[in-house]
Amino acid sequence: MKKIRKNTIIAALTALGLGAALASPALADESFRTLDEIKESGTINIGVFSDKSPFGYVGENGDYQGYDVYLAEHLGEDLGVEINYVSTEAANRIEYLQTGKVDIILANFTVTPERAEEVDFALPYMNVALGVVSPEDAVIESLDDIGEDDQVIVISGTTAETYLVKNNPEIKLQKYDAYAEAKTAFENGNGVAWANDNTEVIAFSIENEGYVVGIPSLGSADTIAPAVTKGNETLLNWLNEEIVALGEENFFHADYEATLLDTYGADYEDTLVIEGGAVAGSETEAE
Amino acid sequence: MQSLGIDVLLKGSNFLRLLTGLWTAVRISLISVAISIALGILAGMLMTSKSTLVKVLMRVYLEIVRIMPQMVLLFIVYFGTTRVFGLNLEAETAAIIVFTFWGTAEMGDLVRGALISIPRIQYESAAALGMSETAAFRYVILPQTVRRLIPLSINLITRMIKTTSLVMMIGIVEVLKVGQQIIEANRKTSPNAAFGVFAVVFLMYFLICWPVSRLAARLEKRWA
Amino acid sequence: MDMSVINSYIPLYRDALLLTLRIGWQGVFWAFIIGLGCTLIRQLRIPVLRGVVTVYVELLRNTPLLVQLFFLYFALPKIGIRISAEVCGSLGLGLLGGAYMAETFRSGLDNIAPVQEESALSLGMSRYQTLRYVIFPQAASASMAGILANVIFLLKETSVFSVISLMDLMFTAKDLIGMYAKTIECLTLLVMFYLIMLLPVSLLGTVLERRLRFAEFGN
Repeated sequence: MKKIRKNTIIAALTALGLGAALASPALADESFRTLDEIKESGTINIGVFSDKSPFGYVGENGDYQGYDVYLAEHLGEDLGVEINYVSTEAANRIEYLQTGKVDIILANFTVTPERAEEVDFALPYMNVALGVVSPEDAVIESLDDIGEDDQVIVISGTTAETYLVKNNPEIKLQKYDAYAEAKTAFENGNGVAWANDNTEVIAFSIENEGYVVGIPSLGSADTIAPAVTKGNETLLNWLNEEIVALGEENFFHADYEATLLDTYGADYEDTLVIEGGAVAGSETEAE
Repeated sequence: MQSLGIDVLLKGSNFLRLLTGLWTAVRISLISVAISIALGILAGMLMTSKSTLVKVLMRVYLEIVRIMPQMVLLFIVYFGTTRVFGLNLEAETAAIIVFTFWGTAEMGDLVRGALISIPRIQYESAAALGMSETAAFRYVILPQTVRRLIPLSINLITRMIKTTSLVMMIGIVEVLKVGQQIIEANRKTSPNAAFGVFAVVFLMYFLICWPVSRLAARLEKRWA
Repeated sequence: MDMSVINSYIPLYRDALLLTLRIGWQGVFWAFIIGLGCTLIRQLRIPVLRGVVTVYVELLRNTPLLVQLFFLYFALPKIGIRISAEVCGSLGLGLLGGAYMAETFRSGLDNIAPVQEESALSLGMSRYQTLRYVIFPQAASASMAGILANVIFLLKETSVFSVISLMDLMFTAKDLIGMYAKTIECLTLLVMFYLIMLLPVSLLGTVLERRLRFAEFGN
């Protein structure tokens, strides 16, 4: 029976070792790089999506493209540094900032009060709400159309997920890590609908035949903004000044025309674009 | 029937990009295997140590590796280390650390297995012949152990390569991720590209791992 | 670490553990059946099928589960074969595990001296009887540790299920981190739940391994 006792000890130690490694207090709060440090290093790390077209995706030849990337390119130029794009998933975005793995997140990041507790948002550059797209032969026009056994596709870590978990816990969600996976699954008919940013689902319905955005706007009207690690004031201030300055030259309209016009046409330009960080009519805070 | 996506791979530099992605995965695994083999030999010797403390510690290490999925370790090392120690690891470094941590335990266990599989009498005979412990190890035990180990270490390479497919989950753009990007970029024109792309990725892994594991099997048979 | 956060997450992890165990054990079950089937085909030297088994074992053993799942779940529907996520998970594990089990059984069988088979046959036992009463019982006990190692391996492999939308332990942790950013709490719970799930199996394996002196794990 000696053996059994030894095994128990080993088991206990294993558990302890793993527990201790995790439970030790978080030492590093300031894991970000200041504006000067970024300039000095000559490279800025920017987190973008690689599979959320037309906002952040990888084109035919392996280069990053889209509305977010167009802005990123410009930021890199104005800072005079090289850009190192980091491909993020929705659920990793806060984590990437908090662990300093990227300096800025430009991955179509919706501003919410919960997220603002974890990261610092700069001025917004795009309007967004939630939307739901479904196949045209079984359009979901209201959340009530969703049956008890139906599954709605969402992407883990997006505002659509948080919204549905909070407000409609009865709806069964089918969650995916990445846009690419969610879209392929949706195409394959694995869910009755796909809930995401309305901008994204509208783009999907335009680009892919046979889909209709039955719910074009859900939840509150929100904005999308660049985010930096909490407390990284130098970078945050620079970004804000930059966004205001860009507004004067109507940069984001140019961005729209370069990256989104093909998908949306001109109709959405004024509803989607925020110029110079100034949201029409009100404060930037949601709700 | 629409195209199943093979044509998509021939467009532009897509195929080359897939290969580059594959190389990223293979490179990470080769580096990890190389370090694992070196450290694993050490670990294996420690595992056969006479000290109970060392043995128990090694056992705990092995147990952790056995129980925790590499995916979990990847997350802990990639995100956890920054939070706990303030170390900012690149994704690739984090991957190499995790795979080495795992590979060393695997290799160590193989070395231990090989060491204890050498009959006791050989140690005794060597001692009887007047060889020192080091000499016995160097001239009698080691050559036999190495012979037993080579096929097993080659096997470790294929397992390592297969495991590196996980690195897409911590943002490393390897072959699967490139595949997804290609599917995404061509969703409009060839909605069925997922079939061709994933089939090709599947075959790519097979074509890399299969010859290596055949080699291991052959060596094992010959040297058994 | 925030205990109230941990307490509120525990039910979610418990659900994830149950799902992981359910699909994991279904996978193990299929792995066992498929492995036995393959072994039988090999031992009875059935033509054609033997070739199929070889191709199957080599294909599945030399590709990652992640890629296999991508293929099953995302690629097959493109040619009209649609499988639900849960079935895909247990089928994927079963197919992968079947190939590993077949190899484990084979190495168990290889350890049995050919003279036993010859003796049994010369005693007038049929090929099937020889397998059933002489070879299999011995091979099964010799493969025990290897089988358990495969079981642990398969249960661990469930950690890639997030790609096919299954809320296993790993995905639950990632998802919660994505929503509420309580990283340390989520990862701690994740580790704890994997320990609960796998430590007993692993220790059982260690005991058996010591007893049978049969070392092989995780492959």
